[in-house]
Amino acid sequence: MIKEGVQPLDSLRLVANYAAQAPCYICGDDNTYDAELCRQCFAPMALTHQAASQKIRPRLLATIGASGVGKTVYLGMLMDMLSRQPDRLQMLARGAFSITLQQSTASALARGEFPSKTPSEPDRWNWVHCQIRSPSLKIPLDLVMPDLAGEALLEEVDHPHTYDVIHPLLSKCAGVLILIDAVKLQAGSLDQDYFTMKLLSYLAEIDERPKHGWARRPIGFVLTKADECEECFVDPARFAEVRAPGFWRQCRERFRNYQFFASGVAGGCAYRQTRAGLVRVPLRVEPRGIVEPFEWLVQQVKS
Amino acid sequence: MTAHDRRRWVYWMAGIAGAALASSWWMRWWGIVAWVCGALAWLALGCRGRPPAPREDDSPAADDIDDDDCPADGDAGDVESLVDGMLRQDRYALLLRRQVVGNLSVDQFSQARETLEDRMALVPEGQVTLARPDSERIDDRDTAEEQRFVQPLFLDRYPVTNAQYHQFVKAGGYQQMPLWDPQIWPAVLDFVDASGCPGPRFWKNGKFARGEAEHPVVGLSWYEAAAYARWVGKRLPSEAEWVKAASWPVPLSEEQQWQRKFPWGDTMDRQRCNLWGSGPGRTVAVTEYALGVSVGGVYQLIGNVWEWTSGTFGVVTADGEELSLPMPMKSIRGGAFDTYFENQATCQFESGENPLARRHNIGFRCALGLCDVAAHPGVSEEPPPAAQPCSAGVDGAQLPAAVTEPEGALV
Repeated sequence: MIKEGVQPLDSLRLVANYAAQAPCYICGDDNTYDAELCRQCFAPMALTHQAASQKIRPRLLATIGASGVGKTVYLGMLMDMLSRQPDRLQMLARGAFSITLQQSTASALARGEFPSKTPSEPDRWNWVHCQIRSPSLKIPLDLVMPDLAGEALLEEVDHPHTYDVIHPLLSKCAGVLILIDAVKLQAGSLDQDYFTMKLLSYLAEIDERPKHGWARRPIGFVLTKADECEECFVDPARFAEVRAPGFWRQCRERFRNYQFFASGVAGGCAYRQTRAGLVRVPLRVEPRGIVEPFEWLVQQVKS
Repeated sequence: MTAHDRRRWVYWMAGIAGAALASSWWMRWWGIVAWVCGALAWLALGCRGRPPAPREDDSPAADDIDDDDCPADGDAGDVESLVDGMLRQDRYALLLRRQVVGNLSVDQFSQARETLEDRMALVPEGQVTLARPDSERIDDRDTAEEQRFVQPLFLDRYPVTNAQYHQFVKAGGYQQMPLWDPQIWPAVLDFVDASGCPGPRFWKNGKFARGEAEHPVVGLSWYEAAAYARWVGKRLPSEAEWVKAASWPVPLSEEQQWQRKFPWGDTMDRQRCNLWGSGPGRTVAVTEYALGVSVGGVYQLIGNVWEWTSGTFGVVTADGEELSLPMPMKSIRGGAFDTYFENQATCQFESGENPLARRHNIGFRCALGLCDVAAHPGVSEEPPPAAQPCSAGVDGAQLPAAVTEPEGALV
């Protein structure tokens, strides 16, 4: 016996789905229902669908810095640590795509290699959508964090709107972690100082509102590869002040909510000769100072 | 002024006086020569007659250390008190040296021997297989592995603790230059703690943190570890010795042997070692994690702290690639409390570190060749102590039938 009712034709349902456009969670551009990536900014449309189906608005956080500073290693290691030892913060990945970054990073490090360089093409970036739980959080916090390519960031900072994803992403971010190569700073290289100054300038001009602009949003400065210059761990702020006076001064004058951290993943490094030249390899993996910056940022975002 | 500052001041004054004496002698200024000699005599008498420094200045901070346990070298007035002092300082290995043992009474010898057997585990002679870096990628066993023969030795059951190392610092180990490799003499003055006193990097005022007397000493360079080992009459273990003690090879045939991946068996059990995620995230006392003891009775070979060995870090991987190191490195083994991956905390895994680095997670333990332990002339010959089988954590493996005594090992 067939129950009476209106049964829409499959073809009509298909047309209806295509007619209902899904706005990208990052740039807001309309996309078809079955698009995998946003046609405008190449952010995964899964973010939009998850936000709609679970009725949540995940907060955006970004990890930015120059090329080779260790953004992928930091983010991948952070995800892996939080998912393996949930004492302080617990991370639950939302969607299989959110585990790819931690999988590729941990696999490479366990093999005694650093993960491959993040390609400049946004459609090949890894995105993480996760839920953060902590005793200090009354309700779980949903976060979206992309693993951006350093070259793309540099290109966007120098030539705005080259990459359609970066500007809207950083505009909507609740906070950022800016990674700085401590070894290069210690060696006297000024590139890190200049690039960080550019990033700060870019951020400050994205949103100049006095109350909700970047001047008041939390910024964590993470001195990476600090295992190779241990004085970083003693006083990262002092290290930055001495080694990178340019961005230090800019930071003090333009931003109000910032903190300095030091982190390291490899306990020691060597170089392996490959076809592409000398490649840096970790001799062992001993993460230090990975969770602390993120924990601070989550506290700031929550409040 | 601390004892260290006073000592440094005396050295400076003595140096200046010596230089003045030499130049005056050369210039034939006999009056100045006489004056300088008088000043030197006064300085020597003054130092000798100086009352001991107040305890809070140069005694260890350590709550559990009694100053009476730490007699400085040469303080003992007779052989008996000297021997007692050396036993309290854990320098029993020196007493068992061929050149020294004849001066001991039978009781003193027995005491030293018992201490040795209590503090150190015997590792029998035999072959051991060392895996080269990256050997997991290589199918060809011949290129991925290397066979070494190990002479019988004693290995410390526990890593050297803060309390033990404090004896070395208090006895002026950093001022006894014969203990140090000559090429490192310029750097010895730089081996200071957080307050500038000689000692491991994370100590303050020559003292370790309260409550950490039994924690492994960390924050010291390879050279400091080697100097301590010399001071107690031992040495750092070689890589092959360390791996043999940990993996405890059992010969299956003339060509093959079975080695454990971990001291307790072939599977990782995080309850048996202090690694990232299984411990408190810092060092623990050396007596903890008893379940992780090796077959021979050696604690914490895996986890808690990396351990310096005497070997140079291998720069050639199994597939023939050469690792380019930023500086010459010494081999470290065993993993530490912050080692993240299990495959980097195995008996075979080797890492390297700058021998001058003073890291928060690198300690050491000492070794002593069996041939360096002499028998007392007045004591009847006894077989060497057999390695104590450990019931915990052996995964049902059988021990070798007997530990053979090499010919002529005991005099």
